[in-house]
Amino acid sequence: MLTRMSRLGLALPRLLSRPPSRFVSQSKPTGGAGSAAVTELFPAAGKAEHGEVSEYVKNPDYHGFSSDPVVDQWNMRVGFFFGVSVALVLGSVFVYYLPDHGMRKWSRREAERLIQLREQEGLPLIDKNYYDPSTIILPSTGEE
Amino acid sequence: MLKVLIPTLMLAPTIWLSKPKWLWPTTLAHSFLIALISLTWLQNLSESSWASLSPIMATDSISTPLLVLSCWLLPLMILASQNHMAKDPSNFQRAYISLLTSLQFFLILAFGATELIMFYVMFEATLIPTLIIITRWGNQAERLNAGTYFLFYTLAGSLPLLIALLSLQGWTGTMSLLTLPFSDLAPLTPYTSMLWWAACLLAFLVKMPLYGVHLWLPKAHVEAPVAGSMVLAAVLLKLGGYGMMRIMIMLEPLTKQLCYPFIILAMWGIIMTGSICLRQTDLKSLIAYSSVSHMGLVAGGILIQTPWGFTGALILMIAHGLTSSALFCLANTNYERTHSRTMVLARGLQVILPLMAAWWFIASLANLALPPLPNLMGELTIITSLFNWSWWTLILTGAGTLITAGYSLSMFLTTQRGPLPPHILALEPSHTREHLLIALHLLPLLLLILKPELIWGWTA
Repeated sequence: MLTRMSRLGLALPRLLSRPPSRFVSQSKPTGGAGSAAVTELFPAAGKAEHGEVSEYVKNPDYHGFSSDPVVDQWNMRVGFFFGVSVALVLGSVFVYYLPDHGMRKWSRREAERLIQLREQEGLPLIDKNYYDPSTIILPSTGEE
Repeated sequence: MLKVLIPTLMLAPTIWLSKPKWLWPTTLAHSFLIALISLTWLQNLSESSWASLSPIMATDSISTPLLVLSCWLLPLMILASQNHMAKDPSNFQRAYISLLTSLQFFLILAFGATELIMFYVMFEATLIPTLIIITRWGNQAERLNAGTYFLFYTLAGSLPLLIALLSLQGWTGTMSLLTLPFSDLAPLTPYTSMLWWAACLLAFLVKMPLYGVHLWLPKAHVEAPVAGSMVLAAVLLKLGGYGMMRIMIMLEPLTKQLCYPFIILAMWGIIMTGSICLRQTDLKSLIAYSSVSHMGLVAGGILIQTPWGFTGALILMIAHGLTSSALFCLANTNYERTHSRTMVLARGLQVILPLMAAWWFIASLANLALPPLPNLMGELTIITSLFNWSWWTLILTGAGTLITAGYSLSMFLTTQRGPLPPHILALEPSHTREHLLIALHLLPLLLLILKPELIWGWTA
């Protein structure tokens, strides 16, 4: 136990003296001491991770679609045209002009018209006898 | 149905025959056109709610919104995956888009099926492309573990359903959703009827997922690539809700007593998963748990079995599909820049990516159900119908909405506000593609407010 502790005691200063591991850079340590240079910790603005050149350096108008500038621009145009102009705009127009399902809008308009009419004539909004009793033919009470 | 199914199948030649350079733009345009055609399902002229009837497939006002949502999601998944697939060889890219397409194909067949066995087969078939997407294109080695969880939770849950469906076929001689609600079930002993009820619902409760059988979901979400997370949150969870709605109608007299423990569990889950979100450090895991919490509310709304409950569940499913998918896309834009899902490592991003912060803001507000978004309509409708059943539920649902607001705002504050951590100096600016992607999630959500009867279900 004691020997193990003493071994750790020897190793501890060495462990503590090592700088913390690098956050960003994936490149191999250059020196034997393994110290991280400032440029490794904070890469320059033009460089993306993994030592690659940022797409914005190659193509300032980068839209995030492709590394080829022509394809990138066309892909952006296709995305906006078919996504926004076609699907959203034409789709919304189509959905807006869909026929009234179950004649709900019609029945609302008809109800408003009827209410106005009956209020003008001083009638109750709905009659107690919704159907005219004289039109209903009931079976005679004696029949079983 | 064929007007969408055939173009979906024809995506395969588009994917495999177009030049590698033009692969993404062509498939994107093609899938957007399919999404446009899918809107024609919304035109329902029949007096009954069933439309586009064919011998095996049909749509009605419950399946139509989900069908359109699954068609809308394919172009969005293609847009979202473009950056992280750019380094792959072109054949892998083609295989990846083919898998996403096959997923849409299976989903259309599942949502459109009128035969329960066909629904079951397609329900299971969606597992295969999702599993491949997670285990092949996930980011960490834990994706294999997540794939195992995903597959075996859902498979173990759905095997009893197969047996229950086959026995149903034996009793009634039909599996058609059109006639089954009108045929009476064979007399069962009380115990077998309880077992049969549980077997019918278990698969969907696992898929939803109900609190207690939800463990596969955060794992699968965290490990999946962005398109996998999007489709899982937006459509695959809704398969569970849709299946429950369909099968509930047939279980009518049994559900009345048997559903109580499940409603309580669902509402308890809202509180518990919401609380887990409050102390979550992993961004994707937070969004995944928030999905579990919302789907708990949906499960409650369906189990309560009132017209308002069903309507609210459908509205919340559609609204949550768009919102959580948008949140996963936003989380992915962070991940692609910082290569970390840990929230504390990417704070204060508003300073660097201000327009992205605006998208984060709208998406967080949608997640916490701010009026007038459909999320609020759905939640309120479900909460009202639950309240109508028992006043005590308001404690759970009310606390649930409070916690939801809490973690949504805390997620926004942690990622966007505050000082920038010193290790973040050079992030790529946000791309046009990412803005388009988020806009295409949130604009339909805003447009749905203008015509909410599209997602009202049977009530409309």
